[in-house]
Amino acid sequence: MSIIKVKSIVTGQEYQFDENKHAGSGVMKDVFFDPKRNYVVQIYKSIQDANSMERLKNIVGKFRENIFNQAGGEYWESVYCWPTDIVTVPGKGLPALIAPIYRKEFFFEFGSTNNDMLGIKGKDKEGKWFATAHHRQRFLDERELGDWRKHLGLCIKIARAVKRMHAAGLAHSDLSYRNVLIDPLSGGASVIDIDGLVVPQRFPPDVIGTPDFIAPEVLRTLSLPITDKNRSLPCIETDRHALAVLIYMYLLYRHPLRGGKIHDPDPGRDEELHMGEKALFIEHPSDKTNRPNLSGMRPTDLPFADIGKIPSKIAGPYLQELFQKAFIDGLHAPHLRPSANDWETALVKTVDLIQPCTNPKCAQKWYVFDNSTTPACPFCGTAYKGLLPVLNLYSRRREADNYRPDNHRLMVYTDQYLYPWHVNRLIAPNERLTPEQKKPVGYFVLHQGTWWFINQTLTALKDITNKCDVPPGSKVELRDGLQLQLSPEDNCRLVQVQMVRGA
Amino acid sequence: MSARRLPVYLVLDTSGSMRGEPIQALKVGVQALISTLRQDPHALESVHLSIITFDAKARVISPLQSLEDFQMPLIECPQSGPTMTGAALEMLCQCVDKDVQRTTADHKGDWRPIAFLMTDGGPNDTALYAQMIPEVQKRPFASIIACAAGANAKVEPLRRLTSNVFNLETMDGHSFAGLFQWVSSTVSSGNRSMGATSSITLPPPPAEIQIVV
Repeated sequence: MSIIKVKSIVTGQEYQFDENKHAGSGVMKDVFFDPKRNYVVQIYKSIQDANSMERLKNIVGKFRENIFNQAGGEYWESVYCWPTDIVTVPGKGLPALIAPIYRKEFFFEFGSTNNDMLGIKGKDKEGKWFATAHHRQRFLDERELGDWRKHLGLCIKIARAVKRMHAAGLAHSDLSYRNVLIDPLSGGASVIDIDGLVVPQRFPPDVIGTPDFIAPEVLRTLSLPITDKNRSLPCIETDRHALAVLIYMYLLYRHPLRGGKIHDPDPGRDEELHMGEKALFIEHPSDKTNRPNLSGMRPTDLPFADIGKIPSKIAGPYLQELFQKAFIDGLHAPHLRPSANDWETALVKTVDLIQPCTNPKCAQKWYVFDNSTTPACPFCGTAYKGLLPVLNLYSRRREADNYRPDNHRLMVYTDQYLYPWHVNRLIAPNERLTPEQKKPVGYFVLHQGTWWFINQTLTALKDITNKCDVPPGSKVELRDGLQLQLSPEDNCRLVQVQMVRGA
Repeated sequence: MSARRLPVYLVLDTSGSMRGEPIQALKVGVQALISTLRQDPHALESVHLSIITFDAKARVISPLQSLEDFQMPLIECPQSGPTMTGAALEMLCQCVDKDVQRTTADHKGDWRPIAFLMTDGGPNDTALYAQMIPEVQKRPFASIIACAAGANAKVEPLRRLTSNVFNLETMDGHSFAGLFQWVSSTVSSGNRSMGATSSITLPPPPAEIQIVV
């Protein structure tokens, strides 16, 4: 053991690290554990200039405090690996960051199949493993895969983390599956490599991003000098592109722009055009020239590589709309890209549309229920059987108003709960929920062929159709056309029940 | 989705002077390179590897294969004999012409290939070597990296082949491990963050390697 003591250049606080406990290396930094493994020390490989040091001081100081020292601050600890302090390492005088250690769920417990033939057990769960159909179906141990609902959950975490940065005027500048740790088992995600935060006009970017995630305008203007006013560099709008790509890949296991179109015989130039100036959504409804070429696919690329079998529509209407905005309207028009907040809202609403697949062998286990055709799991084809209650949510601003549709539906499944955010449209299921708001108000159950809602805590629940109260502890049968007023208060909901029949 | 293939050629000196520890260390290094690349989901998707060895003869001991299907070949070296580096380059050109798929109107071809040449001596077939240099340079390589390993390696012929020449002072396991770790990060650098001011072509080599300038 060889302990090196280091001191904060901000507060003078002392830290230490073990020179022999190397935790990893990146392009810019070498990382070491502290002897008790409470934090890591990330040492830069070179001296940082004054502007970079100023940026780092802001990241561990003002920017950090603005996010963490507010209501819900603890929540942010779970979605970022945000550096906490800057130290100087004796000897060469290199600067280093003190950062939280990655939580253990972000490391493979089982790794790959065949007794971990790739030897990735214990390595960090780089997102690329989970965002590639072939890797998922060919290499990863199925105990690592989680399910589609957890993938929605981790996308929510990523969208929320990016939203919070953007709300503070900060751009990450290099969002990619390397810089966002994910855990599909718990639905967790954590944004790392926060030291490159970009503040327009103040702290310019060090990097242009990572291939697969670089926005088209950045690639298109790559050859211009960095000072040229037409050169596009990472900013909040380019983060929005990267975020859209991440979400698309974590839900559909393919890249939204990597199709079969060929722009140039030279592979490097082709790549630059394909992802830059000539970038085209593989699912563009009218320009079909970039559809994935299915002739070269391996069985393990399917069905995800086939946009006819797994169109992005399977992610539900809210997300489909955003995919179109991100990859059609906003692909070459950065100002039209959906914000991180738009993604969070759409993802959260999509959670209310999902159903468990009844096929125990289904790899995705959950899917968005689509009642426009014969309802079936798009991943394994298993049909939905029986009656499914769908709750359409309406609300009114004031008692005098009429109830208006909220463009929000809840698909019911056994043991599904109803939460305060379904009752009041002003409550959103996010980091600001109080402990009280996290408790369910009732649940749904299918008993001997009849669907019931069991009211647990709603004190003013009214069955409008049958003109009676449904006090806490009692139940109401869900039938087609039934109207339930969850609460008479302003901004609270009335639900209209629709019964949909499957196969 | 099938990604473009990235063909990587390892052209390795197995002449008599490599016998003993150097060849053992080299084998371990190559094995480690394959394991490391397999642990990288980006490389696993794109890298295809071929190994060419050369001593008195050049041979393709592993034809171009995906990392997924790659089987470690037997690397042997004779008691003694010449170092036919020119023949190795000739073989490399033949392989590239045969293996590397060009882009056509409806088929995405391969990435430009990467070749990595390691030798502990100098070419004995100097005429062929000189003749093959322009041939290699005609091929669409993204980069050619040459490594002069040990005290007897001749740097000058390598510098005529490529500007990326590195010197490995010793040929023990530690040096080869560092070298192949660096080769691995070179091969997978296409998926790392790209700098804003210039495009990074090669990551900085490890401390054990000297860059020949």
